Amino acid sequence: MEAKRLEDLYELMLTSRRFDEECTRLLGEGVHIPHYHSGVGQEALMVGSAAPLRTADTYIYTHRGYGQLLAKGVSLREIALDMWLKDGGTNHGRGSVMHVNRPDLGLPGREGVFGTRFGLAVGFALAHRLNAADNVVVCCYGEAAGARGPLYEAMNMAVLWQLPVLFLAENNGWSFTTPTQWMFPQGKMSNVWRGFDIPVEVIDGNDVESVYGHVADAIESMRAAPGPRVIEGMTYRLDPHIWWDDASYQSKTEIEAWRTRDPITFTESRLEQLGVPRARVEDTQRAVAAEVAATVQDALSTPDLTGHGC
Amino acid sequence: MPERTVLTALNDTLREEMRADPSILVLGETVWSGGAAGVTRDLIDEFGERVIETPVSENAIFQAALGLAIAGYRPIIEIYSADFLLAVANEVINDMAKWRAQQGRPAHLPITIRGPMGATGGLGPEHSQCVERYFYHAPGLEVVVPGSPATCAPLLAASIRSNEPTLFLEHRRLYPAALPVTGEEGPAQLGRGEIVRKGSEATVVAWGWMVSESLTAADRAAEQGLDLEVIDLQTVAPMDLELVVESLNRTGRLLTVEEAPKRGGIGGEIVASVSERLGRAIPMMRVGMEDCIHSYHPVIEAEMLPDSSDIEKAAYNLCNRGSLGRSEVGPLE
Repeated sequence: MEAKRLEDLYELMLTSRRFDEECTRLLGEGVHIPHYHSGVGQEALMVGSAAPLRTADTYIYTHRGYGQLLAKGVSLREIALDMWLKDGGTNHGRGSVMHVNRPDLGLPGREGVFGTRFGLAVGFALAHRLNAADNVVVCCYGEAAGARGPLYEAMNMAVLWQLPVLFLAENNGWSFTTPTQWMFPQGKMSNVWRGFDIPVEVIDGNDVESVYGHVADAIESMRAAPGPRVIEGMTYRLDPHIWWDDASYQSKTEIEAWRTRDPITFTESRLEQLGVPRARVEDTQRAVAAEVAATVQDALSTPDLTGHGC
Repeated sequence: MPERTVLTALNDTLREEMRADPSILVLGETVWSGGAAGVTRDLIDEFGERVIETPVSENAIFQAALGLAIAGYRPIIEIYSADFLLAVANEVINDMAKWRAQQGRPAHLPITIRGPMGATGGLGPEHSQCVERYFYHAPGLEVVVPGSPATCAPLLAASIRSNEPTLFLEHRRLYPAALPVTGEEGPAQLGRGEIVRKGSEATVVAWGWMVSESLTAADRAAEQGLDLEVIDLQTVAPMDLELVVESLNRTGRLLTVEEAPKRGGIGGEIVASVSERLGRAIPMMRVGMEDCIHSYHPVIEAEMLPDSSDIEKAAYNLCNRGSLGRSEVGPLE
């Protein structure tokens, strides 16, 4: 990948990371963050799967996917305002960070009970086809949603109707307190889809260049010849499931092993290999840190909503 | 005057609405062959890709319709039997009903959910229930349950044109009813009930097939000298409580009639709501199914279901003329 593009992806990943770190710092200070789920460790899969898309392509995000939203064009300011239930975000305090949506950017939002996303993806793919557009749908999902029946119904429809849906399994090792291997055969979320005779790939979800490349190839193939595909990105949830979770069930050795494969530091080493000056990377780091701090501060100091309309 | 059945009128309405609005799509099981009852008959011939026959995958069908609606289409889902709506209660109540509120966008979400409902004798407990009460309880949905044959097609047109998620529940016993073709059927207005029989001594509030049973009961009661008013609610959500209250101000007595079990039903909610509005208790009775499971045996099922005789008896009791109805229950006072 050319250095400029990787620098752009790095900046998005880093913004997502710094935002999580700022939230974690605030939690330590006793600040309440409603429905906060950290995405630390998964930034490469988030950014790499959304960045190759056009604005008109549909992307269905997951609940810790700040990097996904940023890469699809949502501002950090909107995410932060939604997070703290303030006006000025995308849902005006009504849906929290669980329902960030910008239909104009190809982000329809997400469901509250895992599983609706799959048929939703089929619906958008049908709409793209009826509109005679070669737009595609990327439907991200974690272990929890992937264990629900609607995925199996939607996958069948997508194959039956040859719809351009990329089902992107985010294998981060855990479904809250349940390890992935307790939920899916061989601990792989995608093995079962090989039976549908469609392209199924398992990729390194912590290498943003690899994610970007595989997703870009998949969506370009779907534009040319519609039909669903599956990509399972192997990554790891480095932080607890949700802010009040102590993650005591997660082994420290496992976490440390995955920390050595941190997508942020891995990308930094790649930038160095590509000859990007260290000083420029540090400039980006300073700029991102400043932007995140200022945006979060702005969101926190934005007045609370006072209206109570139905 | 030429006649057509309710079934044909519904089929014609789908065709006319689809001709008028290219964003309307029909999707569901067996819709290429006419759907569960024939309401989507021949639409595939005229509208091609706008009629989508799906696998038997209710969750994904309803989810796809949500996606299509967000994407700017106006999907009409056929549910093969209204009982199966319980399999997609999550999509209807958690997704469709809440979507606009929690995404902070009170914009349109024009989804029509339609299909056959109700007991016809021996279809068994999973293909006979009247399910409107489950959805009546959920904010964010319109629930239309036509009762008078002539209103079915206009109410369907209004449901399709509505910008809200709307359930349109067609009682199976209405399909064969014949009605004149007047050429004047425009869309009805959702949320409006209609007085289908004027009367002075009690107000009977019904919807769906129970409108027909109530009218039969009112005719028989009239022969006994009891004058009943009958309201066809047409839409249970939103509900035309003003019409009920206006009628009660004249009659002073309320009888609610529903096919589904009385317990936890809509009848009790009507009684409570109008009492609140009037600021006093009112003489009332409810007719509905007892706490039974529909039998596959048509005779046993018929005993369970409320019918015109039950309504007639309840009306005599309500109006203190228990002796007329040979009632098993005593008079009210």
